[in-house]
Amino acid sequence: MPFVLAVGAADSVCYAPRVREKPESLLPSAVLDHLDALFRLARHLTGDDADAQDLVQETYARAYSAGLRLGVGSNVRAWLFRILRNLFIDAYRRNRNSPIGVSLEDDESADNAVAHEPLRGDAELERLRGAVAEDIEAALSSLSVDARTVVLLDLEGLTETELAEVLGCSVGTVKSRLSRARAILRKRLCDYAR
Amino acid sequence: MECSEAPTFFIDRRRGTLSDSRRASLEVHLAECEICRRDDAADAALSALLESRLPRRRAPESLRRAVAAKWDRLSSPRLSRANRVARSVGSMTLGAAVAVLVLVGWHARLPSETMVAEAVGDHLRVLYRDRPVEVESGGIHQVKPWFEGRLDFAPVVSFGGDDDFPLLGGSVGYFVDRKAATFVFKRRLHLITLFVFRAQGLPWPAIAPELVGHAHGALQTSKGFHVLLWQEGDLGYALVSDVDERDLKALAGKIASGG
Repeated sequence: MPFVLAVGAADSVCYAPRVREKPESLLPSAVLDHLDALFRLARHLTGDDADAQDLVQETYARAYSAGLRLGVGSNVRAWLFRILRNLFIDAYRRNRNSPIGVSLEDDESADNAVAHEPLRGDAELERLRGAVAEDIEAALSSLSVDARTVVLLDLEGLTETELAEVLGCSVGTVKSRLSRARAILRKRLCDYAR
Repeated sequence: MECSEAPTFFIDRRRGTLSDSRRASLEVHLAECEICRRDDAADAALSALLESRLPRRRAPESLRRAVAAKWDRLSSPRLSRANRVARSVGSMTLGAAVAVLVLVGWHARLPSETMVAEAVGDHLRVLYRDRPVEVESGGIHQVKPWFEGRLDFAPVVSFGGDDDFPLLGGSVGYFVDRKAATFVFKRRLHLITLFVFRAQGLPWPAIAPELVGHAHGALQTSKGFHVLLWQEGDLGYALVSDVDERDLKALAGKIASGG
């Protein structure tokens, strides 16, 4: 899906950060600490290097214009990821041609609600273990935005509290979303690794 | 515990973050339920796949520079006219210096891209094998003799692995146009491949700023994998993995200095 940003989009990202510090406490190096992880998520969401770079640049621009002031202890990481996710969803909603949904429910309806159906036997498990990078990336790209986000950010080491902030849900819901997303990914991977 | 609830705790159990009572309850359920046991095994396989085979791309340098410059610009106070002129002159000087460095870097890096691409491709082939090694390690003194008669040179590697970087074993492979001794190390769930080969006649990077033991090496990244190349005597070394750069350099230091 081509990632096209529109001026005035992503209203939902312009909420105030939880911690505000004085302007002199701005730490560009601390901001850049999250760049690689933001780029990886953007690359998995957009599927394209150039679009991912645009998305990351816009994320930082939004973060700054929303008044981000970095201070020790502020949960900047989750906030940046949330901005990126919301920007992508806004762009996604303007592009009605994409067959990929936003929520986990889209995945489950596409898979006929078989998310928790276990693998049928050792052969399927072996096929899963034999998946290569291309299979994994293809299976990930077939997931909904939220499923991709929760799986990838868990892999990046975000805590459940941070994931809840990114996804805009309760901490209690994160565990079940992650488990469902991984179950769907396992099923899709078996198909891609055939 | 019910089958509908058990999968939500698979990851936490593997990570050791479940409470004692919850873990006991899950383990009782897994002992009784074959379907959930299989589901748990599949989830563990998924974790291993994501950790070891999903490329960990780094943001391009151009993006890093653009974000840093924009952030810096937005956070800088307004400058006086005199300061703006001084800053412009400084920027032009810096720009010229960067251009020279980029040109030198580009010129120096271009030939070695073959070696970097080869190293990443060979590393991926090791990862995709059912058995990444032909001889399993009982230590370097078991692996090195195995290469005798299989290579036309003796690979000089005295580091036999440790708790941080256990040596899994070795195999014979190819690097560009020549045979190579392949050693496979492990760092947590990540595999690290070391290729040792005859160095002569390969397009080595002209600039090697990384200190590797007493040698100098060049670190490059391709497709999310870091590649560290260096030479010692007649032999060339290529160390490849998707682990953090610092881990790769730490292992290279141990290999080059013999641990």
